[in-house]
Amino acid sequence: MTVLTLEKLTKVFPRAGKVVDSIDLRIQGGEFFTLLGPSGCGKSTILRMVAGFEQPTSGRILFDNRDVTTEPANRRGIGFVFQNYALFPHLSVAENVGFGLRVRKVTGEEANKRVAEALNDVQLTGLGAERVERLSGGQQQRVALARALVIRPSLLLLDEPLSNLDAKLREDTRAMLRTLRSANSPTTVYVTHDQAEAMGMSDRVAVLNQGRIHQVAAPEEIYENPATRFVADFIGRNNVIDATVSAVTDNSATVRFKDGNEITMDPAHKANDVVLTPGSQVGVCIRAESLRLATANGTFSGTVTDVEYAGPVRTCRVRTSVGDLQAEVPSSAGRLVKGQSVRLSVVESALHLVGPQGTA
Amino acid sequence: MSRLPKIAVLVALTLILWGYIVGPLVGTFQRSLTGGAPFADYVRFFDFRGGVQGEAMLGSLMISVLSVITSGIVGVFLAVIFQRWDFPLRRVCQVLVLVPIALPPLMGVAAFVKLYGLGGTFPQLLGDFFGTDPNGYAIEGLAGVLLVHTLTMYPYFYLSVSAALEQSDDSLEEAAYGLGATTFQTWNRVILPMLTPAIVSGALLTFMSSMASYTAPLLFNVDYVMTRQIMSADANAEMAFSSVVSVMLAAISIVFLIVLRQWENRTVYRTQSKGGRRKRQRVTNPAMKVVILTVSLVSTIFLILPIAMIFVLAFSVDGSWRTAALPSEYTTRNIVKLFTDSMNWAPIQNSLVMSAIAVCGTVLLGVSCAYVLGRMSFRGKTAFDIAIMLPWALPGTVVAFNLIKSFNVPSVFSFGKVLVGTYAIVPLAYFVRFSPLVFRSTAASLSQLDPSLEEAARSLGSSWWYAFRRITLPLLYPGIAAGALLAFVNGIGEFVATILLHVHPRYRPLSIAIFDEFYRGNFGTAAAWGVVQVVLVLLVVILTQRIQRHGAILKL
Repeated sequence: MTVLTLEKLTKVFPRAGKVVDSIDLRIQGGEFFTLLGPSGCGKSTILRMVAGFEQPTSGRILFDNRDVTTEPANRRGIGFVFQNYALFPHLSVAENVGFGLRVRKVTGEEANKRVAEALNDVQLTGLGAERVERLSGGQQQRVALARALVIRPSLLLLDEPLSNLDAKLREDTRAMLRTLRSANSPTTVYVTHDQAEAMGMSDRVAVLNQGRIHQVAAPEEIYENPATRFVADFIGRNNVIDATVSAVTDNSATVRFKDGNEITMDPAHKANDVVLTPGSQVGVCIRAESLRLATANGTFSGTVTDVEYAGPVRTCRVRTSVGDLQAEVPSSAGRLVKGQSVRLSVVESALHLVGPQGTA
Repeated sequence: MSRLPKIAVLVALTLILWGYIVGPLVGTFQRSLTGGAPFADYVRFFDFRGGVQGEAMLGSLMISVLSVITSGIVGVFLAVIFQRWDFPLRRVCQVLVLVPIALPPLMGVAAFVKLYGLGGTFPQLLGDFFGTDPNGYAIEGLAGVLLVHTLTMYPYFYLSVSAALEQSDDSLEEAAYGLGATTFQTWNRVILPMLTPAIVSGALLTFMSSMASYTAPLLFNVDYVMTRQIMSADANAEMAFSSVVSVMLAAISIVFLIVLRQWENRTVYRTQSKGGRRKRQRVTNPAMKVVILTVSLVSTIFLILPIAMIFVLAFSVDGSWRTAALPSEYTTRNIVKLFTDSMNWAPIQNSLVMSAIAVCGTVLLGVSCAYVLGRMSFRGKTAFDIAIMLPWALPGTVVAFNLIKSFNVPSVFSFGKVLVGTYAIVPLAYFVRFSPLVFRSTAASLSQLDPSLEEAARSLGSSWWYAFRRITLPLLYPGIAAGALLAFVNGIGEFVATILLHVHPRYRPLSIAIFDEFYRGNFGTAAAWGVVQVVLVLLVVILTQRIQRHGAILKL
């Protein structure tokens, strides 16, 4: 199982500028690793450089200890799954899956057996003779997956493979990808802008923005301890409110919002770039689900401006003196209506500090 | 493709484009400056008082503007009728109005002359009917040229406007009506503005074709056009001046090509909503039905008459047409002779072989250029693109003139031989003229082809060449085949460059044979060859439609 190492990987496009900015990354053998970020953050470009479809402007790519930076795509031994499937329209399902075997001069009985196995793995048994355009989008994506896996790649690269599928199929395919994982699965790099996909499948996630890595960590870590203000904003439904540090002790930190309200919290819950000295500016992350409806003495008070019912919870927007806050209120807590005055209290153990506005 | 082969391919293509396309044009430009004082011949060209020489550009421009107007009226009118209304025989008419596309350049104009010109069918019929001199009804000179241009160039408008109407969004019109617009307001404010891009591109194409037109002025004896000036000045040994006319004609065409490409890129109104295409309105009013049916039937018949004329003539006995509306004696001998008499078969074979040789070249150059421009990044792409499309803008006369002047001396690109007067010069001219056809249709196919298909093949381990052979080429095949077929029939029908380049009587191609026999009055023999051309064109049109379900290729 290949260890993938990126060293100072940089890509500059003539028009778009620096799309990937000096990325250092080490992905362990057999790991399911996700590059997560908004569109245009450079995640697909990184993947395409790893595949050999794009040449890096500078930096190195290593498969184990082999430098593959200048090696053409066809010698890298990778499997690549495209967002739009990229199935060969003039070949049948089996011919598509067998393409890589044919190139490797694997033919006859051996090839047929491996193609059938691969189709079986992606639950398309018996569809080998079908024309690809007769399959549904979900089936086509599974053919693409079988085609990439049948050559037993050392590295499997998936470029937003689920984004052309509808919601139900996305979940099914995600489940299938999870079941396909086994002890000898290839090292997998998965690119997506969908955090649910990233969180649900990965061993580790790298969050990217504007060509730079903001955080590399396990999904839980990213969710609970965002390393930067961008990560806090991007992951989950987070309220990030500007505040000033008013007091710090060994085991507590107090921050003051612009309306004078204060909250005391655990000083360990902070990103690395936050300086905890009285008077310094910070951003306080309050997850939507850690805001509670309070009866009398909540931290924030305001007016409900919007309510969205989503089954188990109601997501509401509350206009308060520190700004608009999003809160997820269990539906069992009762009906909320627009215009209603509410008080919100905070689960203080879930608070987290990030840098002030304007920091990356 | 890795670095070294890529550079090799680019260098090879650049040499070919320079050697046979750009270089000869630049050579003509250099020669245009050799007449005494610098730009002396340009001054002469723009001196409109100086008799026929100065008039040439004005004549060409006037004919082109008039052709745009008349073809525009016919083309837009037919497109609107056929796209908007449904009536009996509509489908048949719709197919038949495209038949003029199948008219071979020379034989087509000849058929017009025999229909409407001196001693033609219509003047004779009118003369007999009114009991007056039939020659008074004959169409000659400028009117004849305009008639030919109108009836052969209206498809540029018809096809583009039809396509625009077909793609136009029903809901836009419904929205206009819903907002309270009258029918007139809807047409004026919604439909016509949407058709403008189609009409403008039709106009540009018609203008370019009219400027390049050579056969119609030749057969209707109009000599104040630039295409004919080039050759008459050359015949008078005024080499610098004929080069000046060539350069001016090329310059005008290139400007139009650039405007056309810009226009194509800029304004395409695409349907934004989903759903079926618009339904035609069924004509129910009986009076309206009669009017529409009559108009479309008459125009359709009018349009296919030249083709019918070629077939009638092909069965007439040579020399049997004197002063009647039609030839008096008929025979199948002309057709039979094509396949039995080696004298009659030879031109067919010559044209087939010359055209086939040229097509091999056009496929190699066209496909390589399309791939290089579509899939590689390198400096000077725009220049490359203009170079390969250049011959499409250049009138055949100019292409031939450039080749004559470049290859009447030994050249590196002719392997040190003089090509003028040899067999090779005619296929070379076809190759130059028709490479853009293969290039364009291949490029169109390639732009539809997702680049990730090749990347997928590469990631699965195939070399560049294997991926190209097994994935790209099979998927481009419809575009390549359509372009190659089109280039092939264009070669079979080519007359404008052929008549200037061909000198070797043993290798007389089809269009020259037709021209010779037509002037000897052997209309039957000439038309039998014309039938061969028409049939080949029709075959290719049908084949192309089969290969590519959409008739996009016809737009060329």
